[in-house]
Amino acid sequence: MPDPITINVDGRDVQVQPGMQLIEALRGPAKTDTPAFCYHPDLTVAGNCRICLVETEGPRGWALGISCHMKTAPGLKVRTQVTSEKIVKLRKGVMEFLLVNHPLDCPICDKAGECTLQEHYMGQGRHESRLEDEVGKQYKGGADHRFTDSKGEARGGKKIDLGSTIVLDQERCIVCSRCVRFMDEVAQSPQLAIAARGDHAYITTFPGKPLEHDYDLNVTDICPVGALTGKHFRFQQRVWMLKSVESIDPSDSLGANLTIEYNVGQVNGKVWRLMPRRNPAVNKSWISNASRMLYQDLAKDRLTDGVVNGQDVPLAEALSAATAALTGAKRLAIVASGHLTTEDNAALLELATKFGTKAEVFGGSWLPVGQPDGIARSGDPVANRKALQVLGVPDNLDALVARAGEFDAILIAGNDLWAADAAKAEALTKIPVRVVLSSWINATTAKATIAVGVRAWAEVRGTMINCQGRVQVLNACPVVPNPDLEAVWQVVNQVGQLGWTTESQAWKAAAARAPQLQGITYRAIGPMGQMIAETAAPAAVGV
Amino acid sequence: MTLVWPQPKTWNGKELPRILTRLFDVENGHTLAVAKQHGAYSTISKTLFDKSQFEIIQTVIESGLRGRGGAGFPTGMKWSFVPRNTGKPVYLVINADEGEPGTFKDRLCLTRDPHLLIEGMINTGYALGVRTAYVYIRGEMLPQIRALNDAIQEAYNAGLLGENIQGSGYSLDIYVHRGAGAYICGEETALINSLEGFKGQPRLKPPFPAVSGAFAAPTVVNNVETIMAVPYIVQHGAKAYRQWGTDKSPGSKLFSISGDVHKQGVYEVPLGMKYADFFDLAGGLKGEILGCIPGGSSAPVLDAKESMEATMDYECLAALKSMLGSGAVTPFNTTRDPVTILESIARFYAHESCGQCTPCREGTGYVNRILQKVAAGQGRDGDIELMKDLAESYEWTTICAFAPGAAWPVLSFIKKFRSHFDAYLAKNPQHAAGRDLKSLTPAAFM
Repeated sequence: MPDPITINVDGRDVQVQPGMQLIEALRGPAKTDTPAFCYHPDLTVAGNCRICLVETEGPRGWALGISCHMKTAPGLKVRTQVTSEKIVKLRKGVMEFLLVNHPLDCPICDKAGECTLQEHYMGQGRHESRLEDEVGKQYKGGADHRFTDSKGEARGGKKIDLGSTIVLDQERCIVCSRCVRFMDEVAQSPQLAIAARGDHAYITTFPGKPLEHDYDLNVTDICPVGALTGKHFRFQQRVWMLKSVESIDPSDSLGANLTIEYNVGQVNGKVWRLMPRRNPAVNKSWISNASRMLYQDLAKDRLTDGVVNGQDVPLAEALSAATAALTGAKRLAIVASGHLTTEDNAALLELATKFGTKAEVFGGSWLPVGQPDGIARSGDPVANRKALQVLGVPDNLDALVARAGEFDAILIAGNDLWAADAAKAEALTKIPVRVVLSSWINATTAKATIAVGVRAWAEVRGTMINCQGRVQVLNACPVVPNPDLEAVWQVVNQVGQLGWTTESQAWKAAAARAPQLQGITYRAIGPMGQMIAETAAPAAVGV
Repeated sequence: MTLVWPQPKTWNGKELPRILTRLFDVENGHTLAVAKQHGAYSTISKTLFDKSQFEIIQTVIESGLRGRGGAGFPTGMKWSFVPRNTGKPVYLVINADEGEPGTFKDRLCLTRDPHLLIEGMINTGYALGVRTAYVYIRGEMLPQIRALNDAIQEAYNAGLLGENIQGSGYSLDIYVHRGAGAYICGEETALINSLEGFKGQPRLKPPFPAVSGAFAAPTVVNNVETIMAVPYIVQHGAKAYRQWGTDKSPGSKLFSISGDVHKQGVYEVPLGMKYADFFDLAGGLKGEILGCIPGGSSAPVLDAKESMEATMDYECLAALKSMLGSGAVTPFNTTRDPVTILESIARFYAHESCGQCTPCREGTGYVNRILQKVAAGQGRDGDIELMKDLAESYEWTTICAFAPGAAWPVLSFIKKFRSHFDAYLAKNPQHAAGRDLKSLTPAAFM
C-alpha cells in the first residue's frame, strides 16, 4: 500500500490513502457522517443524488463538489456539514427534493428500518415540512397507485411485477440509477433503464420483457429505498426484528460472504433471509439468487432424528447404533466431504487415525464443476474442496466404488452421493453397514442402514477454505429444527471418543495435519477471511 | 414571427459588420457556385495550409473570439486544451442543437450560408488535427438539415471535403447527426452522449471533453456561429476581427430579437452596442419597456432601466449579474405580465430537466407547481420566499449548468418584479393565512 497522506477535514488533519474516493475517506478515516444514495463502492460513480456535497478549497476559493467524484490528494482541504452552514442547508435542500415525490408510506414499506432515505433524513434532513397539497406527483390513490406526472401522464404504479423475483413500487423510486448500473456493469445484462426525464423519469425494463438474471435480487439490496423488493422477503418480517450472524455461501467454492438473518421464538423462529456481506476480495457486495435462496432449505426436508433399518428413532438411539456399528466393523470406509467444514473433516480424519489400519479415508465429489461467472460464484459446488486438498484427503471416490467389496462398513458424512451419481453410488450398497450423517432426508439417507441427523451449515461454527485459499468462518445461527442436533464433528467425536469439546479443538487438530493452517486462529481469520500460505505447485508431469 | 432581412448596411453612419451574414441577402447564397463568387472557401488554399496548426490557434486566441453558444468560453483557449499525440483521434463536434428559448440564429445560418460553416469546420479541423467531424443538429429542423446536407454534398463534389482537400494533404469528413430535440442535448457532454447513442444526459466532469469526449477521444464542441467566424479570422487576422466590439468582447455577434419590437429577427451587430440602440435597429420598441431578457430564457432578466443602459457584451452583463448567453434578446413592455412569463419559463425547465440530479429533477417541478398555483390566483404568503429558497437550493448543486439556468429566471424575476407577484397573491382572499400545512395530518395520506 502507498504511504498515507494528510488531508484536512473540518480543520482536523486526517491520514488517508492517496487517490481514494473522498467519500470513502470521509466515511472511513475522517469519521464523518457523509450520506449517499447513488454512490456504491462496487459500482461506477454516477454522481446524480448530490447529497454527498462538500466544500473543497481550490485555486478560486471554496467550491462545492460531490465527494463521491473526488479523489484524495495531499493538502486537500474539505468542509463538511460539521463546519459549513452552506453544506447543512444544501443537504437539507437535496433531502427535501428527494422527499417531494416520495410517499410517506414507511409504516407499510418493507425497506423501513434499513432505508437509506430514512437514515439520512434522520441525520441531515429538513425536519419541518414545507409541502403543501399542490406539490408532488398527485397520487391518484386506489388500487394501482399510479401517479400523474407533470405532463399529465399516468406513470409508475404499485406492485409492478418486474420478473420472477422482484416487485417494483414505482412511486418510492428516487432515480439513483444503482439498479441500472448493477445490471449494466456487474450482471453485464442491461435489462433495466430509466425512461423519460425530469420528475417524470421512471425505472422500467424493455417493453413486455421481464427482468430475469441469476443475480437480479442484488438490486433489492442496493436500492436505497423500498422501490425494489424481493418476492421472497416481501411483507415477511420487519427488519428490525431480525438478528444476524455472519457466514459464507456453502454451495460454491468461492464462499461468497453473507449474513444469515433470523428471528427466534415460537411463531417467527426461523431464518428469514440471507444478505450479501461485502468482501472486496471475494464477492464484493453480491451473491447469486441461488445462494440467497439456500435459507429456504434450512426448514425443508430436514433429518431431525435418526433412522435405523428404516425405522425412525430418537437421535441418541441412532447415535449409539452408529457407534456400535462403526466400532465393530472390520474394514471401514470413511468418506470425507467438501460440503462440510474443515473441522468436520478433521474429526473424520481423526476417527480414521483412531481406528488405525481397519479404516480408510476417501474423498471427492461426483458433482459437475462449472465455470466461474465472474461475480460471486466459482462454479465448483464443492465449497470446501480446498480444505480436503490441504488436509491431504485423496480425490478417489471412483476407487471406493471399485473396491466396495473390500469393506463391511461405510461412513458417509454430509455427502449426497446418490444424488450426485446414483449409478456409480449403487455399487456402495454392496457394503452391508452404511452409516450416513446428513442434515437432510435425501437419496443417500434412503440407502442408509443407519442415518443420523446433524446440523446444517447455518447452524454450526466452523471454517471453509475457498478456491482462492482463503479461510472463512461460518457462524452458528441458533435457529435449529431440533435442539438436540449436533454438528458432524460432535457426532464423530462421540463415536470415536476424541475428547473434543469445542470447535477450536477440531480446528487445532486440522492445523496439526496441515502446516499451512498452523498459527491461524478464529480470531485472526476475522470477518474478511485470511489467506493460507500457498503450497508449492505440484511438479509438472512429463516435461 | 417574420425573419427580417436584410438588416440595414449602416447604423448611425457606421458600417455594420458582415462577417457572418455576408451571404444572407444574396439570392441562392447557400449554393456553392454563388457562395464561391462571393469569396467562400478562399481560406481553403495557401492562406490556411501555409500556416501551422499552432499559428491558427494562436490567431484565434489573439482575436478574442468567444463561444457563441451561451457560455462565452474563449474559443482559442478551448482548442489549446486538446492534448496532442495521444494516439486517439481528435473529434470536432458542431453544436447545432439550438434550443435556448428565444434563439433562432443558427437555423438561419444553416439555410442562408451553410458553406461558411463547412469552411469554418475545415479551418478548425486543420488547426486541431481532426479527421472526422460531426454536426449535431436538432432533429426537427428539416430545412436546415436539407440545406446542410446539400452543401456538404456540393463540397465533397468540389473536392473541398474528403481525402486530400485541394491537394493540401489534409483530409476531413463531416457527418450530420440528427438529435431528437431535447433542450439538454445542447449541453456539450449530453450532446456527446446523444451522439454516441446514449440517453442525452450530461456527464460528470472531469474528464472534460477536450481530454475524453466523444468515443473517449479528445473532442472540441463548438457552436455553429463560433465556427462561422473562424474563416474571417484566419483570412484577415486577429486585428481585423478586433476592429469590431470591445477590448474584452471583440468581434460581432448574431442576436435574435423577439418580443415587443417592430422588426423581430436576426441581426449581426458589433459587441458592445447599447441594447437601446439595438431596439431601434430592430424597428423600435412597441410601447413602454418593462424589462428585457438579454440572452435567452436562462439569462437573468433586466428591468427597464438596466435594459436601456446595458451594452451587449459579456462584461457589462456579468456586472449586472446576467449574461449575454446565446444572444436571444426579448424585451417586453408594460402590457406584459412578468408572472406569466416566468410561469412559462418555469414550465419549460420542469419539462426539459433531464432527471439525472435530484435537485434539478425535483426542484424545477416543485417550483413550477407552486408558480402554476400562484398564477392561477391560489397563491399564499410565503410561496414567493419558498420558490426563492428552492431555486437557491438547486442553483449550484448539480452536474451541469441546466439547474443554474433554471434558477436564475426564478430568482431574477422575483427580485426585479416582486410587486407583480405580490399582486397575484392578493388575488387569493385567503393569501394572508400563509402556507397551509394542515394537509400534513394523517388524513392526507389515506
